[in-house]
Amino acid sequence: MPALIATGLRKRYDRITALEGVELTVAEGEVRGLLGPNGAGKTTLLRVILGLVGADAGSILLLGEQAGPERAVPPGVAGFVEEPSFYPYLSGRANLEVLAEYDEGGARERIEEALSLVELTGRAQDRVGGYSSGMRQRLGIAAALLRAPRLLLLDEPTTGLDPAGVRDVGRLLRRLSGEGVAVLLSSHQIGEVQDLCDSYTVLSRGRIVWDGTAAQMRAQAPASSFCLHTSDDGAALTLAAERPDLAAAQAHVEQPGGLTVSGDQDSLDAFVVALGRAGVAVRSLELAADPLEAMFFALTGEAQSNVGSGESSVP
Amino acid sequence: MSAPFAGGAIRAYRAERRKLHAQLSTRVLALVCGLGPLAFGAVLSGQSGVPGDTLLGGWVHSSGYAFSLVVLGFAGYLGFPLVAGALAGDVFSCEDRYGTWKTILTRSGSRGEVFAGKVLAAGALACALLALATASSLIAGLLFVGGHSMVGLGGTVVGSGEALLLVLASWLLNLPGLLGFAALALLLSAATRNGIAGVLGPLLAGLLMQLLALVGSGTWMHFLLLSSTFDDWHGLLTSPRFYSALVLGTVVALAWTAACLWVTWRVLRRREFAGPPLSRRAGWVAPARVVLMASGVVVALAALGNVGPTGITSQRLEASMGRVFERLTLLQQRELGRSVPADAKLNLRTKCQRHSGQTSGPGDDWTCTMTVVSPLAGYEPYQLTAVTYDVSVKSNGCYKAEAPPTFVGQQTMVDAEHRSVVNPLFIVYGCFDTTGEAPRCAERAGCAGSRSGGTPVNGSGAPAKAPSAREKASTRQAERSSGGVVRETERSERELEQSAKGKKSSEESTQLNLGR
Repeated sequence: MPALIATGLRKRYDRITALEGVELTVAEGEVRGLLGPNGAGKTTLLRVILGLVGADAGSILLLGEQAGPERAVPPGVAGFVEEPSFYPYLSGRANLEVLAEYDEGGARERIEEALSLVELTGRAQDRVGGYSSGMRQRLGIAAALLRAPRLLLLDEPTTGLDPAGVRDVGRLLRRLSGEGVAVLLSSHQIGEVQDLCDSYTVLSRGRIVWDGTAAQMRAQAPASSFCLHTSDDGAALTLAAERPDLAAAQAHVEQPGGLTVSGDQDSLDAFVVALGRAGVAVRSLELAADPLEAMFFALTGEAQSNVGSGESSVP
Repeated sequence: MSAPFAGGAIRAYRAERRKLHAQLSTRVLALVCGLGPLAFGAVLSGQSGVPGDTLLGGWVHSSGYAFSLVVLGFAGYLGFPLVAGALAGDVFSCEDRYGTWKTILTRSGSRGEVFAGKVLAAGALACALLALATASSLIAGLLFVGGHSMVGLGGTVVGSGEALLLVLASWLLNLPGLLGFAALALLLSAATRNGIAGVLGPLLAGLLMQLLALVGSGTWMHFLLLSSTFDDWHGLLTSPRFYSALVLGTVVALAWTAACLWVTWRVLRRREFAGPPLSRRAGWVAPARVVLMASGVVVALAALGNVGPTGITSQRLEASMGRVFERLTLLQQRELGRSVPADAKLNLRTKCQRHSGQTSGPGDDWTCTMTVVSPLAGYEPYQLTAVTYDVSVKSNGCYKAEAPPTFVGQQTMVDAEHRSVVNPLFIVYGCFDTTGEAPRCAERAGCAGSRSGGTPVNGSGAPAKAPSAREKASTRQAERSSGGVVRETERSERELEQSAKGKKSSEESTQLNLGR
């Protein structure tokens, strides 16, 4: 039985539709990425799943139990929404002790292990008020681990973490999923989670616009796109238009101009050589979006950070 | 309540208790409740003055139990609302301030269990603080004053053991009111999501209720006010005791508590924990609603202020004042070393009225003239001794009466053992039941036309010789001539002066003139 089944979820705030017809399933041992730009509805969906907000329609089953604002989160379900929050006047350990009081089972016995797993043992006696954002994030993960989770719901868990912290969280989640823990991981950057996730659900404006496995996404993803700066962007655009294996768009918004070029590696090599022969100097060529990011942007209708709104597709 | 719910509520209670114990405000409260009475006792022990305006304040140097009850009187005025606000006013709003609602509501407790846990923790802390203040005030009283017997609000002397029980019961009877204010603090905390509103709200509400109690004379509003429940213990210290106010007050306090908790739960149950934008919106919408609702309640209570019968009437005051005065006079005589039989009574006439001419309602403009008719064995068949007290009567039926020292003597007097003791007649404290039927004249000590039973006391303090038929006739004539009630204080005083003319002047002459 899947750890999480959400069916037909709808949530509106006044005239704003936060969620509409959301269906979501997370199986045991699966790490599912919940993707979407800011305001897509990821956090609202997590709030609804955790019972912080009531859905206008739909149902949620967490580990086989009906969930909602009137009910307690079932044992074995853990997670956090937005940045984890704690009592600043208490130490990290005391915060976990307070949270363990709310929990059934042997949460108290897991405090030291959880602190050790997130490498906070040395700072556990310090008041949380003095913690950095990354340390609070680690404490949030520790707090979730106290519940011996079988379903983890994490809202951008790597926010504020240094690269080593991101790596450690990734390892931890991989280990947990290997033990059968289902993980739902929200992010607005697919690059952060693509090494972790087995599957993705992409949200845009409260609706699911794509749902499938990581393999399916890679198969459907477009070619990589690159940002190209030349000595003569107009000539470069004309040359790109003559090559059917390339797609190019001229960017205007981000200074200092340049082109966005999509294509496989061989086509791109040939294009660069052609530019040289035509007397157009290549000043820089950078990866703008990898295939998954490109797909994410395409699905969510979001412009890439270095691509303007006045794009013209070539050909 | 189902077993799983109870389990969840207890877990939430333990978590909340941990948080409360770690908070600075809780520690400060415990310090204030634990050390405040001791500090007050230490300061008071170094002074000769007394907080005379507070009920039993005149006895604060005489009995440790009276001291504890004076502390209770202060606490009931504004202390309990302040403590309730400080202990419960941030219980819900702190979760908003720290953003921790989402943290605790994603654990194993439902909203109902978290709510119950928080309410239990606040209630338990209220009980603990009340117990601490009780113990501290008693210890301070016994330490700085001593465990002597005390004079109750009925003018009777209460032995040390009974006084201890009465003091404990009096403090305990304030628990419902304290819980009511704590529930109000919880409501403000949850509805406004603002700790300041939660902490200061009960204090302001307490002040407002005190104000409403001052302006209104109707019994109904007085009993609807939560602050009135802090007066319930007065009935235990009167003689005879009355319990109607106590029962009513407890019911009202429980009703306030239940209503506040119900609204708090409604607020919490319907709330969506949806992040900062909605919180900001609710940040002014919710307080505005609370202010509107509170204003409505105030207007309604103010409208009720004079509705219903007034519990403060001249008959009730006369009955109580006469009884208390009689007992205190006899107590004074005993302390002066005179032999007063256990069943001694004064032939006393009491007349109370307001300067405004009204005969009812609370106020500071009451005067009560007590006239003692003493049979004499000599040429004059009787002696009229009159003393007029200025009486301040509150809407709860308690009063403080003071008379010029020329009539009743100084605040202290020298007793038969040459000790300086409190003059029982200097300030008279009392309380009467403001509910039920007014006492009939025949049941009232000192009521016009009534005669107290027991052994009449003559001028020497010894049982008077039974008056002859001629003396009785003279006394009745005197009573008739004064209309049964000595209405004209001046005349009584003139007669008093005449009867005292030529007699020796001594320290005792500054006491009520029964000892000559």
